Amino acid sequence: MLEIYISYCLKNPISSIAVFITLLPITLILIKKAYIDPSFKLLLFYLIVKLIIDILMFQSAARHRNNIILFNLGIPINYAMLSGMFYFKFSSRVFKRGLIASMIGFLIFTLWDILNSNAEISDLHNHRAVLFAKTVEGVLIITLILLFFYEIIKSLKIPNLLTFPFFWVCSGLLLYYSSFIFIAPVLHYTATWNNLVDLGITETIPTIFEIVCAMFISVGIYHFSARDYAK
Amino acid sequence: MQNSEELKWALLVASLAMLTMAFCLISFVMYYQKRRFEEEKRISDIEKTYNRLLLDTALNSEETERRRIAQDLHDDIGTMLSLTKLSLNQLGKIVGSTGNEKEDQIMKKSQSLVEETIIHVRRITRDLVPTTLERFGLIEAIEEFIHKLEEDNNLAITFQANTEDFPRQGQKLELTLYRIMQELVNNAIKHASCSQIDIRLEINDDVIGLKVIDNGVGFDPEKIKENNLAGLGLLGIESRLAIVDGTVQYEKPKMGGSCAYAQIPMVPVSDSKPEPLHPFRRERVNI
Ligand SMILES: Nc1ncnc2c1ncn2[C@@H]1O[C@H](COP(=O)(O)OP(=O)(O)OP(=O)(O)O)[C@@H](O)[C@H]1O
Ligand SMILES: [Mg+2]
Repeated sequence: MLEIYISYCLKNPISSIAVFITLLPITLILIKKAYIDPSFKLLLFYLIVKLIIDILMFQSAARHRNNIILFNLGIPINYAMLSGMFYFKFSSRVFKRGLIASMIGFLIFTLWDILNSNAEISDLHNHRAVLFAKTVEGVLIITLILLFFYEIIKSLKIPNLLTFPFFWVCSGLLLYYSSFIFIAPVLHYTATWNNLVDLGITETIPTIFEIVCAMFISVGIYHFSARDYAK
Repeated sequence: MQNSEELKWALLVASLAMLTMAFCLISFVMYYQKRRFEEEKRISDIEKTYNRLLLDTALNSEETERRRIAQDLHDDIGTMLSLTKLSLNQLGKIVGSTGNEKEDQIMKKSQSLVEETIIHVRRITRDLVPTTLERFGLIEAIEEFIHKLEEDNNLAITFQANTEDFPRQGQKLELTLYRIMQELVNNAIKHASCSQIDIRLEINDDVIGLKVIDNGVGFDPEKIKENNLAGLGLLGIESRLAIVDGTVQYEKPKMGGSCAYAQIPMVPVSDSKPEPLHPFRRERVNI
């Protein structure tokens, strides 16, 4: 039983690390009490959901089962939580309203995309990755990050960005989604049982940046101080 | 197969390009924010020094104006009064020789009125310009101030300094401390309805501390600031302190009353230079 997982880990070390490194920011959030900030509370939920989905995917991958349905369902959930984080960080009303609209719109879009990508929805064995939704998610998140950067530059409230936790979180997410944005649509064709195309190193780039992203988030949380937040 | 190989490379290149862009963006945001922040800080620094200069000039011209008024009072009115007194004395002699009781009485009354006026004018000029402060220093000046207050109030005012020989400070610093002490004591008399005021002067190597403690009703400085109740007094203290980088704290001691603690960092005394904005500076006001 355990051997299956260990052998899978040894075969795919990078993706295994990407799964378990999520524990690092989660512990840091709990230790640093960063969850008193609503944005970080959502980040905590996001990380926990991500960890659960990743572990489930890891388990089914290790047992050679199709886990793409989890990947697909994770997309709107992840987006809802990540964009929710920005909801608390934006000061502009317009941005906030647009954000809520994008959440609802994106949920509908993803469901449509899942149905569209899978002609036979009940056939979980041959379930395929969504064609557009992951890319759209990337574009939306990058847009949110850019808007947030714009607000930072405009408001000039933060003296040192290197010690500002949320900047690190944004940078990590920006890198992750930048690395994923071109790969995501291709997964629709490659992540299938009878896949002929092997992307090789290209496919591990997002995984590597998933790890980088978790590191960045951890660094950000490391700089979080509950006392300063109260002020 | 060839196609997939090409696709692979295209994807790799695209992803790397995207990542490079992300990196550049992050560095740009960091760099730009830092520069803007520094710029903004410089501007606010300039603004601050400018405001300080303005305040300094305003306070200086206030002192100059007081000096001018004191000078005028002394030179014009004082002289006139002295002359009036002289003439009245002469007149008094003439009236006295006639032996008219009633005329004599009116004469005496006029004379004493003039004398009283002279005393008043002298007091006003002395209040306007703290000559004792300039000549003998802070401790003497505070003692004199207390002495005058104790005469016409039944208040117990004590004064302690932690050293016997308080070295002379720059003129501006002494005047600042003196005016602050004056306002704090006046406030205690006006608002606190207290029976006891303690003034403490503490000097050590790098700060001079001034404490004024009363046993009256006490007050909450936060509330006063919030509700815009502060008069000119508390605001004036703050602006005087801002010029010399000082701070003031108001505390509420447990036994009641209030305690104000002003602190001013020491500056090396450079008493050789005369202060330019005091054209009417004189050694002594004689009436
Ligand atoms: N020692 C004190 N005890 C009690 N209340 C005080 C004391 N000092 C100040 N206050 C309160 O703080 C308020 C503000 O004082 P401040 O000196 O600024 O104004 P003011 O004395 O009313 O007017 P001004 O000093 O301009 O003649 C006063 O109205 C009074 O209510
Ligand atoms: Mg007052």
